[in-house]
Amino acid sequence: MIQRRLPDPRVFDRVFGWGMAKWLTGLACAATLLMAGCSRPAESLPVVEIEHTISPEPVRVGPATVTLKLADGAGKAITGAHIAIEADMSHPGMSPVFAETQETVPGRYQAHLDFQMAGDWVVLLHVTLPGGKKLERQIDVRGVRPGV
Amino acid sequence: MIGRLIELGKLLTPSSIPALETPESLPFDLMRVPGLGHLFRWRYARPLLQAPLLILSVIMILHGFFGPTLAPKNLATTLSWLHFRGLLVLVLLCAGNFFCLACPFMLVRQLARRIFRPRFTWPRVLRNKWLSVGLFILILFTYELFDLWSSPWWTAWLIVAYFLAVLIVDGFFKHASFCKFVCPIGQFNFLASTLSPFEVKVREQDVCTRCHTKDCIRGRREPVSDLVTIRGCELALFQPRKVGNMDCTFCLDCVHACPHDNIGILTRLPASELMTDPIRSGIGYFSRRKDLAALAIVFTFGALLNAFGMVSPVYAVEAWLGRVLHVSHEAPVLGLIFTFFLIVEPVLLIGLAAWLTRVWARSSRALLPLAVRYTYGLVPLGFGMWLAHYCFHFLTGLYTLIPITQSAIAALGRPLLGEPRWALTGLPANVVQVVEIGFLMLGFAGSLAVTYSLAEDDSPGRPLRAFLPWAGVCLILWFASMWLMFQPMEMRATMMSG
Repeated sequence: MIQRRLPDPRVFDRVFGWGMAKWLTGLACAATLLMAGCSRPAESLPVVEIEHTISPEPVRVGPATVTLKLADGAGKAITGAHIAIEADMSHPGMSPVFAETQETVPGRYQAHLDFQMAGDWVVLLHVTLPGGKKLERQIDVRGVRPGV
Repeated sequence: MIGRLIELGKLLTPSSIPALETPESLPFDLMRVPGLGHLFRWRYARPLLQAPLLILSVIMILHGFFGPTLAPKNLATTLSWLHFRGLLVLVLLCAGNFFCLACPFMLVRQLARRIFRPRFTWPRVLRNKWLSVGLFILILFTYELFDLWSSPWWTAWLIVAYFLAVLIVDGFFKHASFCKFVCPIGQFNFLASTLSPFEVKVREQDVCTRCHTKDCIRGRREPVSDLVTIRGCELALFQPRKVGNMDCTFCLDCVHACPHDNIGILTRLPASELMTDPIRSGIGYFSRRKDLAALAIVFTFGALLNAFGMVSPVYAVEAWLGRVLHVSHEAPVLGLIFTFFLIVEPVLLIGLAAWLTRVWARSSRALLPLAVRYTYGLVPLGFGMWLAHYCFHFLTGLYTLIPITQSAIAALGRPLLGEPRWALTGLPANVVQVVEIGFLMLGFAGSLAVTYSLAEDDSPGRPLRAFLPWAGVCLILWFASMWLMFQPMEMRATMMSG
């Protein structure tokens, strides 16, 4: 018969009892503060209106063309912007699709995307304005249909 | 073909397995592995394993509430629906129910029990799996209805709700009531771990026969005060009479309580516990547990249903049902689909197979006990489907954790891990598909072996006649699984829009 020496149960109380509860509560509070307090302060961004069209309509699996029109608050076309496009599925873990836009006419930008799977997609626009300011927009592309 | 299957069945029949007790063929014991054995024997092994998962859960909750709203960029959704599920089924397949061992919810429960002492015993009427079967279905249903995969916010709330449920149930009720009677993840793990290669069990029955204290179930007590210093099994599994992994959380309380160091984590033939029907401590006979059979049905048919929810045909079915029933809301349509897959289809298939077995093999059992007995044979098929489905997401999205972590840290103001590399995803889908087919084949072979073994035990004179109807059910389910795997994927939150 093998008799094992038992650890002192009070050690558990000290290490994993109140001490750990306090430690975990502190960790949760610290993490909350970090998330809330250390994020970047909001910048005042210029008013930019973005109109978008995606063809074909309805969108199907395969190549699609995204056309974007950028205008300022007064409706004047914004030229010389750089727009990087990233398309993600609503389900995590799927391959995102990336594209860069070309300015086809002043204020009008176009990119080609390849939707690889049917379902809900989210198109993210990473816009860098001529002055260097950056902004992001999100376009929901729901129900991309299976290819023909 | 059938002859080979019969041979396979015979090979896997427990009676044909060489005795494991001979010194030359002692089962491998994980507790004997240097380092690992010491760790598991250490009384605080469980909190040590639980603490990192608890911290991870807190991070997931915070990121779910305050992080990006886009699911592929959030730790709550990515870790929950990709990495956790994938790792969970792989660990269950390769080792055992080690997630329950490291369950973070139980760490919080332990801490809470230092404040709230539970006073009540779990109601007798609920001492079965019916509640957890209902919750299992509810989780599958809400997952589809509210598209939990696409919402970090709802995923975070789900984790919080789980913590609250644990605290409420185990705050009021003694022992591990939540684990045994409520937790849907736990029930999934219990059933899947019947196919695991490791089991917590006694090394030598003789030692238990000579033992008078039964600390593994009663707990170790102070000699004078009779206070429990090391608890025994909270799930009422008495080690000497415990059979298999059902209801075992691998918490190792029995290992710590046993004064004879007679409990190990031993290898065994996966699924062997499904092939026999002895009386099991804390469970009784499998063949008399309709609630457990119902759980096995939800586990098996739910695996197909869950995968069906992510392929294109489901939208056609939903749209058609919506038109026929003149409803535009998803809930009733989804309810009908769930009713068909989890009640109508199993009743038809299992009922027909049980009836055929009774007629062809002239089984003396009544129809329902026969159906209950053989239902467990479908568990390997179900697990194969869960493996194929979850490992697809896990492996194709394996590396997504890297850019999301980079992004989460960068969002705090300091990109310590560099700029997020969003192009990192995972293994190619065509490679993963081979793995998926392998899992489905494995599940199919496992189900055939278990059902043949049951048939041989049930109808020794006509095992083939008893086996064939169930082989037919297995074949239908396997074809359905393979068909699902080759359907084009389509993941939408807007099912009813056309």
